Parts: sequence; C-alpha cells; structure tokens
Amino acid sequence: MTGLLFILFAGLAVGCAIAMVVQRNPLYSAISLIGVFISLAALYVMLAAPFIAAVQVIVYAGAIMVLVVFVIMLLNVEEEAKKRMRLRFLIPTAVLLAGVLIAEAAFVLYFVEAHPSPPDPSSSNVGLTASIGTGLFTTYLLPFEITSVLLLMAIVGAMTLAQRATDVPPGAHVVPGAQVLTKQTVDPQAVGDATPVVTRSTVEAARLLGEDDPHDESKID
Amino acid sequence: MNTVPHLSWYLALSAILFTIGVVGVIIKRNVISMFMCIELMLNAVNLTFVAFSSYFRDVTGQLFVFIVMTVAAAEAAVGLGIIIAIFRNRESLDVDDANLLKL
Repeated sequence: MTGLLFILFAGLAVGCAIAMVVQRNPLYSAISLIGVFISLAALYVMLAAPFIAAVQVIVYAGAIMVLVVFVIMLLNVEEEAKKRMRLRFLIPTAVLLAGVLIAEAAFVLYFVEAHPSPPDPSSSNVGLTASIGTGLFTTYLLPFEITSVLLLMAIVGAMTLAQRATDVPPGAHVVPGAQVLTKQTVDPQAVGDATPVVTRSTVEAARLLGEDDPHDESKID
Repeated sequence: MNTVPHLSWYLALSAILFTIGVVGVIIKRNVISMFMCIELMLNAVNLTFVAFSSYFRDVTGQLFVFIVMTVAAAEAAVGLGIIIAIFRNRESLDVDDANLLKL
C-alpha cells in the first residue's frame, strides 16, 4: 500500500515538474510547481515528518507561490516569445548534463542499495513538532538566530529594491532619467507648454522626449 | 504491491527532480521561470534531507529542511524584488535582454 502511494505521489511530482519546464506561460508553470510542492508534502507525511509537510504546504505552496503569482500578475508577463532563441545550443547541452547527473545519481544509488532497508519509521517520534522544537532551541539555537537576522536583511533588501528611485513631488517639472537638468527644463516659463509627464522608465522618458534610446546597442561603443 | 518504499526510491526521485530543475534553469529564458526552477531544485534537496532523517532516525535533517525553507523564503522576497527592478528598467523579463550591468 505504501509503495503504491509512493508511486502515485512520485509520478505526480515528476509529471508536474516536467509540465513546469515545458509550459511557456509562467502562470501555468507556477501552478504546476504548486502541484510538485503538494506531492512532496504527501511524501513527507509518508516519511513520518508531519511538521515538515505542514510547513511545506504553508510556506512553499502558500507564501512563496503567492508571492510568485503576485509578481507574475503585477508584471503582466506574456507568454515566452517563440521568435528568437539566441542560445539554441543550450537545449542539447541541458539534455547532456541531465544524462550525466542521472548517471551519477544512479551510480551512487547502486551502492546505497547494498545497505539493509530501514526500520519502519512510523514508530519513531523524530518528525513530531516537539522533537523539532527541542532541537531548534537547544543544539541549533545559533543557526536559528542567524536565520532571523537573514530574514531581517531580506525584508530591508526587498523594500530597497522594490521602491521607486525618487519620489517626484506633484508640481515639479522634472524629466525622469535626465541627470543634468537645463534651466529650460526646470523653469516652466522658459518652455512654451510644460505639462508634467509621468513616465515609469528611462526608455519611456527618452521616447517621449524624442531622444535616442539609451539601450540602443549600436551606441554603446 | 505491499512493499515499503526503500530509501533509494526517495533518493532517485530527488535526483530526477533536481535534474529537471537544472534543465529548466538552462533552457528557460524567462527570469520568473528560472526562479521557479531554482525553487524546484531546493525542494529536491529537501526531499533528500527528510529521507535521510527518516532513515537514520535523526531529527537534524528536518531542522536543516526548516532552515532551507527560511532561506528560500528570503531568497524569494529579494529575488522577486530584483525581478521587479529589472522589469522596471528594461520592460522585459527575458534574460537575453539583461546582458549589461548598466541600466
């Protein structure tokens, strides 16, 4: 019975993982990845680790994937364009490397197979929340505290990265992207029609101003 | 079919999932898709940790998984912030477009 369940959830995980790589739409990839996470949570339960299984569903399938889906919808990602694939040699390279990795894993597993089967894990209390909490707050207290510092750094870093560079106050006639502002640009009287224009990126500002595209690769040299 | 899954079954599944993640990172051109493939690789390693923890009756592996999940959450927050910054400056999520360090 346990073997059948393992085959069911392992097949589900591998199938969802392959679907995630094959999909071109990032949103479908995200949903497939949630399928992988749920299958792995079921496998954790079979390995007598109920706490890790619950955290897997709550943190991974809940928090992290909600963040990913939120970003996908925020950025309005379109499907991957089929027109150009500059590094086409990467696909045979990837297949070759995958073969090497699988061969290495099979080689290692051949020696693991020689050891006896483990005792039935259902009779131990290793995976219960109490034992994990005891380990986390006694032997591994220092990594736990360092992890809290890491989370604080992640909060500060994410806020710094995601905020806009400068907040332009609502009456200022400032052209975004221009580092040196001429007097004509700043002074509304010097220009005939100085209506404030809001742009979201440097490229858009340059296009509005009629200037050259700053990302034009022919100008970089 | 009344067998209990052997340790090597879990290790083989973990290796397969990790390999799929590696292939995805190499093949995919979308930053968000590559990010999700990295998450898949982290999960494959987590499965190895939990399998060995169950095999050796030692809770240390599951504590490692706990810390790996925390690091993955921090990585998700910072990584998605970087993705938003890239999209704001380049209006594209294709890694081929982000081949310059200057904005």
